[in-house]
Amino acid sequence: MSFCLETYLQQNDDYEILAAQAGFKDCAMIIRYKAPEIVNVKPGDSVLGVRLIGIPPIPVGIDEENEHIFIPYTKPCHGTAVIELPIDQEEIDNIRKLHIG
Amino acid sequence: MKALILLGCPETPSQTPLSIYATNKLVKMGYEVTIAANPAASKLVKVSDPDNHYLQNMVDLDHCLNDLDEGQFDLLLGFVHKDAAASFFVTFNQILQCESIALVFERDIELVEEFSQMISEYTDAKVVAVKAFHNPTPIKVKLDKALKEL
Repeated sequence: MSFCLETYLQQNDDYEILAAQAGFKDCAMIIRYKAPEIVNVKPGDSVLGVRLIGIPPIPVGIDEENEHIFIPYTKPCHGTAVIELPIDQEEIDNIRKLHIG
Repeated sequence: MKALILLGCPETPSQTPLSIYATNKLVKMGYEVTIAANPAASKLVKVSDPDNHYLQNMVDLDHCLNDLDEGQFDLLLGFVHKDAAASFFVTFNQILQCESIALVFERDIELVEEFSQMISEYTDAKVVAVKAFHNPTPIKVKLDKALKEL
């Protein structure tokens, strides 16, 4: 069964919310500031089972050393959040394949 | 022809009546209309039309996004009155690559301009922007004009 971010956030507590109820552009700036590596993806690209929502290019932050990623997560009533969560090397490689430059 | 109406957070009073109004207009123009909304916005629309006199299809926003593909709809009509709604609209537009209309409305004119700019910069959608919140009439007038121009 594939990884599902929604389920993960409900059933685990090893992630961190770095910003919440914010605008997309502010969240993108936080990701670019916090992450050692940035992969730019298209709106609608799927990361960890979720299609990312936002203004292109959408930054996904990678901290390979600590095996963490930083992603924007948007809900209609709650705005955009930045979530930092653990990830395995295989998923990091999958995210890098989405890079649009 | 298929049209997708994308609803945002339901906290603005104008969204629900305008979603039914837009559905009615689009059906009369020959579109099969689907409304995509989160559970809260969905409930408001369903309660407003209990016997489905106007509504055709309603889908959950998350499920709709997961299954969305280029060419699935011929027209995207989005209600944009929050930053998140602008992000959703741009994302749906980029996936569908179809003719799109963004109905941008807010009580704060600076936010109307900000959301309109976000959409104009990243899509080729027609942007219908108006300062409005409780009163649906200014939005309705602009929507009518935009639909006539399709």
